[in-house]
Amino acid sequence: MIRRRETREELFTRRALIMGAGQLGLFGLLVGRLQYLQVNQSARYATLAEDNRVNFEPLPVARGRILDRYGFELAGNDQNFLVTMMPEQAGDIVDVLNRLRRIIPMSDRAYQQTLKRLRRNPKFMPITIADNIGWEAFSRINLEAPFLPGVNAVVGQKRLYPLGPQSAHIVGYVGSQSSRNGRPVRYEFEGRAGLERALDESLQGEAGNRRVEVNAIGRIVRELERREGVAGADAQLTIDSDMQAAAFRALGTHSGSVVAMDADTGEVYALASAPAFDPNLISVGIDEKSWSQLLNDDHKPLLNKTMAGQYAPGSAFKMIVALAALEAGVVKGDHKTDCTGVYEFGGQKFHCWESKGHGLLDMAESIAHSCDVYFYDLALRTGIDAIQHMAKKFGFGIKTGIELSGEKAGVMPSRDWKRANYDAPWQPGETVITGIGQGYVLSTPLQLATMMARMVSRKANVKPHLLVREEENTEPDEETLLDIASEHLDVVFKGMDMAVNQAGGTAYGSRLSVNGLSMAGKTGTVQVKRITEEERESGVVKNNELPWHLRDHAIFVGYAPVDRPKYVIASIIEHGGSGSGVAAPIVHKVMETMLRLDPRSRVKDVERS
Amino acid sequence: MSFYSTRSVSIRETLASLNWVIILLTVTLGLIGVAIQYSVGGSSFSPWAWRHLLRLGFAVAAMIAIANIPLRSIYKSAYVIYAVLLIALVGVELFGATRMGAQRWLDLGFVRLQPSELMRIGTVLALAKFYQSVYVEDVSKLRSLMVPIVLILAPAILVYRQPDLGTAILLVVTGVSILFMAGVNIRYFLLSIVVLLASMPLVWGRLKEYQQNRILTFFDPERDPLGAGYHIIQSKIGIGSGGLSGKGFGDGTQSRLNFLPEKHTDFIFTIYAEELGFFGSLALIALFIGLLGAIYVVTREVKSQFSRLLVAGLAVSIFLYVFVNLAMVMGMAPVVGVPLPLVSYGGTSLLTFAIAIGLILCVDRQPTADIGK
Repeated sequence: MIRRRETREELFTRRALIMGAGQLGLFGLLVGRLQYLQVNQSARYATLAEDNRVNFEPLPVARGRILDRYGFELAGNDQNFLVTMMPEQAGDIVDVLNRLRRIIPMSDRAYQQTLKRLRRNPKFMPITIADNIGWEAFSRINLEAPFLPGVNAVVGQKRLYPLGPQSAHIVGYVGSQSSRNGRPVRYEFEGRAGLERALDESLQGEAGNRRVEVNAIGRIVRELERREGVAGADAQLTIDSDMQAAAFRALGTHSGSVVAMDADTGEVYALASAPAFDPNLISVGIDEKSWSQLLNDDHKPLLNKTMAGQYAPGSAFKMIVALAALEAGVVKGDHKTDCTGVYEFGGQKFHCWESKGHGLLDMAESIAHSCDVYFYDLALRTGIDAIQHMAKKFGFGIKTGIELSGEKAGVMPSRDWKRANYDAPWQPGETVITGIGQGYVLSTPLQLATMMARMVSRKANVKPHLLVREEENTEPDEETLLDIASEHLDVVFKGMDMAVNQAGGTAYGSRLSVNGLSMAGKTGTVQVKRITEEERESGVVKNNELPWHLRDHAIFVGYAPVDRPKYVIASIIEHGGSGSGVAAPIVHKVMETMLRLDPRSRVKDVERS
Repeated sequence: MSFYSTRSVSIRETLASLNWVIILLTVTLGLIGVAIQYSVGGSSFSPWAWRHLLRLGFAVAAMIAIANIPLRSIYKSAYVIYAVLLIALVGVELFGATRMGAQRWLDLGFVRLQPSELMRIGTVLALAKFYQSVYVEDVSKLRSLMVPIVLILAPAILVYRQPDLGTAILLVVTGVSILFMAGVNIRYFLLSIVVLLASMPLVWGRLKEYQQNRILTFFDPERDPLGAGYHIIQSKIGIGSGGLSGKGFGDGTQSRLNFLPEKHTDFIFTIYAEELGFFGSLALIALFIGLLGAIYVVTREVKSQFSRLLVAGLAVSIFLYVFVNLAMVMGMAPVVGVPLPLVSYGGTSLLTFAIAIGLILCVDRQPTADIGK
């Protein structure tokens, strides 16, 4: 019995020792494995862990606003509720998208396109499914989040343009920044047109970023590091929203533009091009149909006509010819020409708009009545070289340098220009028509306003600009003074004064008086279609009987007040008919508002307060 | 040794009679569990750490209480305990609450029991009692083999049907280990291994798909990196990224961020290893080895076969849980859902190990106890 028990104990001890040794051996195996994982392969797993948990995320900063001269928002920011999906997290994309479709309506086409985008893009990148979904859909998605894996309803930014179409050509619009090379987007928007594009860099600011820890399904658990960005800088413009509105009201349904600026500083108070578009619609993504409508409209709503529309300046160019002649010493201001309604040169007939003829007129009277014959003759006497030289001083053929892209330089022809572009010598007959601002000459409304500003301020360097500058030097100094004799300029001023304020002047109907202040200016009517001799015989067809695209362009360039000019306005109405009948009344309305508001003093008031 | 039979034993004497090495190692491991639960909870006592601490206190109390039960009573009631637990397992089969796809709990209204956990102790008790009365010459006789095999297979099959393959296998291995230590001829074990290997294809066909997947994925985790293999890969990344000295307590990132399921239960070691590194992991393993060593020492002092097999069987059971759990989280064994003793969160699991250690302490207090025959 005792022996048996001892044997049982011995057997147990031996077997238990085997078990214990085996267990120790297995523990050794575990330690070996641990060493492999935590010592030998540690670096590799550390990298894997880092990949697993750290994400770099851009931190968008608020885009800078665009403000008018008083701080009124022309472009601001608003909340935009949008929904994104990360294919990697969603798993069954189709299933999740179908659920989402029950919350936000989606056309079959949009559905297919979204599906394509989700499949094409990198799986780890959130794709925007829809934006501007509204508060209700936003909250519903958040509520149903557990059933919508990978779907995020987020609050983004939306660009807001309170003035809508009125500021469209100035501020332009933005688009969503598209991802490039699979890298995440740093900014929500990028400027696509107008100042949004020109000032894109400073408006965007410096995007920040953060390193975040994410869990296995990509949800952010905590933030590891945050580098705050710098918000985009606001841009303050010289634009006066009230003036801008007045310019649009005056333009009405016309296709044309109005530029209102400060004669001394070049500050642009209004830069209106009609018709316009609503930048609010384009920024959120306009549908293709509406977009092609905008593109194909013969009134060209997408074109900023103030700086990208080029027109023959017509009679508005006559001041240049007059000054060129006076400065060249060809004639004096009291030089007279007898207008019979037609001027013959080189076997060609050049007609005056007044077929009966103006009779005997001096220079100022010729400007006031816009006599063509007087300037045919004067141009020929002066010669293209002197005219071209004078025109350059006033900015013809040169970009004004306004802070918008897409500005056109216009054309100021010269002998060299003719040779370079047509490989032909300059013909004297071409000088004749240049005398009335037709032929090769092309200018933008902005250039006409600049011309007028330099003329009335007698400052050679006035340039239009939209951004408020630190110092506006209003005192003329010697170097920047226009090197044109005062008595010569006075002849031109007299002519423009008479054109508006003397009975018989071409713009007499548009004369105005605000607090005893009046306006002066010059009309222009530009033929689009060549009038044949047969048509002249049978009587010229009236403009309003022609198809719209064959009607004359209407031009007016004015300044006010007459005795101490502060403001200039230029307007060109495409196929408007006549300068005196259409363009002058429009400028009249805008100038009236301008004299009442007096933006130059208004900004001083704001500064004082 | 009349000391133990003295009726009026003071509390001080009772405490002095306990094996404090085992108790201290147990409490240390339990407190490590509390600390990691705290870390996993986001450096917070809720939701796991404080409950684990509470249960640990209760478990230690239960442990000491069990240690003071006369060993004779335990010997006498061994089969009864086994039978009750077997019935409970049948109860789970019939009325069990399904949790995480498996019926493992028996909801008694006030407490949810996991009889399969307790069954390991019941089986060890029953087998130890059986071998107490078997002469060494008869151990390997077929007649004496029938009862232990039934004692092992009956609960194993019920647990397997829950379905909880992992616990069932551990139950069988524990039982077979007792047979081995009881002195059953080596040839039977070799034979069983051959039979086991031969029956593999048959067993494979009867496995649930997720079990098949777990095993397949074990051999090739990349097979399904975002599905079944995901847990293993993520766990390995967690442990591996801990490096030599770890990321620091409370600073583990990988495993706390929902990369792991059941991170506070089965995958608790991943968090531990990530935060405390290789050295910390070695320390934990050393603690377990120390605990098992202290338990084996107990078997050297006891006189009855019941005592020896009970203590050794329970030690094997504890070892198997430690080993399988660690091997699993390190990618050396399939994910079978086995907790890490004392450290993993879970009431039944903690209580079961406390009872097991309580029984060991009980044997240790009464090494020469006359348990009758």
